[in-house]
Amino acid sequence: MKRTITLLILIISAAGFAQSKYQQGMTKAFELWKSEKPWEAANLFERIAQVETDNWLPRFYIAQINVFNSYSEKDKEKMVAQMDKARDFLNDAKALTENNAEIYVLEAQLLTAWVVYDGQQYGMKYSQKIAELYQKAFDIDPENPRVVLGKAQWDIGTAKWFKQPTDVYCDDIKRAIELFANEEPAGEFHPRGGGEYAETVLKENCEG
Amino acid sequence: MKLSKKQLTLIVVLTFFASSLNYQAFSQTSISGIVTEKNGTPIEGVNVYLEGTYDGVTTDPEGKFTFTTYEIGVQTLIASYLSYESFMMAADVTQMSDLKIWLREDVNSLDTVVISAGTLEASDNSKVSVLKPLDVVTTASALGDFVGALQTLPGTTTVAEDGRLFVRGGDAGETQIFIDGIRVFTPYTPTTNNIPTRGRYSPFLFDGITFSTGGYSAEYGQALSSVLLLNTIDEPDQDKTEIALMTVGGGVGNTQKWENSSLSFNTSYINLAPYLALYPDRNDWEKPFETFAGESVFRRKFEKGIFKLYAAFDTSSFELTQEDIILPEGLRFKLKNSNFYSNASYAGELENNWRFHTGASFTHARNDVGIQEDGIDNTENSAHFKLKFRKRFSNRVKLSFGAEQFLTDFTEDFNNDFVSERYGFNNGISAAFSELDLIFSRKFALKLGARGEHSQLFDQFTFSPRASVAYKTGKNSQLSLAYGDFYQQPINDVLKFSSDLQAQKTQHYIMNYQYVANNRILRLEAYRKDYNSLVTFNDEFPGFDSNYSNNGDGYAQGFDLFWRDNNTVKNVDYWVSYSFLDTERLYRNFPVSSTPSFANTHNLNTVAKWWIEDWKSQIGFSHTFSSGRTYTNPNEPGFLQEKTKAFNSVSVNWAYLISPQQILYLSINNVFGWKNINGYQYASTADANGNFNRRALRPAADQFFFVGFFWTISEDGTDNQLDNL
Repeated sequence: MKRTITLLILIISAAGFAQSKYQQGMTKAFELWKSEKPWEAANLFERIAQVETDNWLPRFYIAQINVFNSYSEKDKEKMVAQMDKARDFLNDAKALTENNAEIYVLEAQLLTAWVVYDGQQYGMKYSQKIAELYQKAFDIDPENPRVVLGKAQWDIGTAKWFKQPTDVYCDDIKRAIELFANEEPAGEFHPRGGGEYAETVLKENCEG
Repeated sequence: MKLSKKQLTLIVVLTFFASSLNYQAFSQTSISGIVTEKNGTPIEGVNVYLEGTYDGVTTDPEGKFTFTTYEIGVQTLIASYLSYESFMMAADVTQMSDLKIWLREDVNSLDTVVISAGTLEASDNSKVSVLKPLDVVTTASALGDFVGALQTLPGTTTVAEDGRLFVRGGDAGETQIFIDGIRVFTPYTPTTNNIPTRGRYSPFLFDGITFSTGGYSAEYGQALSSVLLLNTIDEPDQDKTEIALMTVGGGVGNTQKWENSSLSFNTSYINLAPYLALYPDRNDWEKPFETFAGESVFRRKFEKGIFKLYAAFDTSSFELTQEDIILPEGLRFKLKNSNFYSNASYAGELENNWRFHTGASFTHARNDVGIQEDGIDNTENSAHFKLKFRKRFSNRVKLSFGAEQFLTDFTEDFNNDFVSERYGFNNGISAAFSELDLIFSRKFALKLGARGEHSQLFDQFTFSPRASVAYKTGKNSQLSLAYGDFYQQPINDVLKFSSDLQAQKTQHYIMNYQYVANNRILRLEAYRKDYNSLVTFNDEFPGFDSNYSNNGDGYAQGFDLFWRDNNTVKNVDYWVSYSFLDTERLYRNFPVSSTPSFANTHNLNTVAKWWIEDWKSQIGFSHTFSSGRTYTNPNEPGFLQEKTKAFNSVSVNWAYLISPQQILYLSINNVFGWKNINGYQYASTADANGNFNRRALRPAADQFFFVGFFWTISEDGTDNQLDNL
């Protein structure tokens, strides 16, 4: 019996070790990100990216961290530096994956960061481009909840700005929430989730 | 329980398998140290790792790092952080403890000093940018003409009846325009007396405009005062169709994108007849101004470069009789112009941090002019070829050099009942230039350049040194200085009659101070320009039998002030520019050194834009004030001895965003209908009392109204917005 346990432990630990460095690294990076250390996570993704030269995921997340953390950036120098970095890694990621809706969504989010930074200057310049990117993403993957949510959120913003009805887009957000609930990620460490955020968007834009 | 042989084997295999995966079987090495700036300030957030491995860590607030590795032997350690140059070192891992690493600031960052003396930029991300690309279309007085928008910047003089750029005491011919680094020989639509011209090219095709009012790079020559550099868009945003309907005409544009290439074209048709029927002006039009223009840009991206082909064609015609004090029945003038310009360029990367840029342009311009009974037909064929290399030795040392060739073939036929003459010239200019950029630190940069030119027509060689330096005086402020020698051949109107001349020369000395923070820009610039070898002749206008020489000279000095603020009042963006100019020159047929009539002492421009969210509208306002310009009063002794009253004009515009794709645009120039006077024309003979009578040169119309509707149709735009209207 004792031996059998030893054997079991051995087998389990072997399975544990079988988790590759890549998986360990990615898991660790997501933990850092969750514990509000996005820049440490970005650094780790960068270390992973320079080893995994043909994998778009770490590059995608570096770009995403830079984009998400630019939404509240007011300093132009930092803004430009972060946006440049995001753009570089996004281009790298784009070159490693074909026809990927997630890439287009992130590109739209990158341009949105500029619009948030200075709407007067970049609003007119980028708004059509952003709409086009969401449309492209939607054409590729109409069932992707992040695509549906991103597109609906952008459309709602535009419609509100032009004082047009937003009901259609609220339905889209509800649909995104449903899609989030039933989401099957495309693969290990692939982008997933965002349902809670969709609920907030729905609350802010469509209720009350 | 006894293990069977089989079980034992399994355990052995598994153990071996596990340990081969489990690096803990080998010994770990600890790598540690601290990352700081040169002055010892720790840097937090630096990514420190061994190249090609997962092993690494981010530095803590004290700049410290520690991590372990199972790697052995010589490895490369990298420390990288945004806006610093990456640090690399190769050593045995056992040597990598208690490392002291300092990072050098990355001089490519936005924080680095920029050589700004003389330069005014309109772009998105440059820190020294004074205009944004959209300003060209939203400035009230500009009417969609990029030259009009630049006229609100410091260093320019208001010459309302001309419409071209007059920079710092220089005449309009002293400014050269380049598209993608290649020269434009005939940038303006020709007009006649008292009718301002416009730039030929659509502002929507360019995303970067650099307007240099002096001290510019050795790459550019044949301009005494100023260069205007226009860069076409590398990659258009999307497929779209643009439609413009205006009170003076209409236009259609279309852009198609493919994977690596794109094609845009733009056409416009302008006819002033309906407008003039409603609001007649001071001219007596037989055939109101009519123009058709088309332009097209093709771009293709390659793995290591981009190719652009730009072509523009336009044709315009008009015929009118203008009031004239010498001719009681008026001066009859008619013009037919056609102009073709094309420009091809390729910019690419080579091995070892070399880049090259090459291009060529060709211009074919034809004018059929009729003045009274005289017919003047001319044809200009010009070409420009250019090749430029740039080597980046490091982020801090860059060298560029290149060569170019200009060719002009100009022929003119003059015909009336008595004379029939053909004349012209053939001109080639060869030039070579080189420039060295040295960035010593984020605070201090230097640019040294030299340019040599050889004129085939005069068999003359000229050498122009250029130098500029910039120093950062504080977090948000910098000081720059520039010096340069500039040569330019006399204008076509002179060269066609005489080629026994030489190049005209200026020297520029510029000092610039700039403060940029929180969407506010303050820019102060003082300058001095010395002119030499200006062309003089003995008649009022250059003619067959005039005597020409290079005996002229002159100076211009003054200061410019620019303030733009996009921060103090919410949704309001405004700028003020003021220029003080003191200039005199001896040129053309001036008997004594005088202030020419295109120069004035004070120019003040105020432009404001107010975005009103609730109305989805932008209201624009611009005011131009310029002090009086000189003219010669033959009733008094002297030359250019009197001045007109000051020029004043307020323009307003209103852009209403009907939907994301539709804009309604309304503008009125000179809202208050102020009566401006650009100068006087005197009778050629005195009346009975010995007095020369005069006529005030007033704009053809005091006011101008414009209504336009602009509609952009893009694929996705139609399906996500228009169905909601």
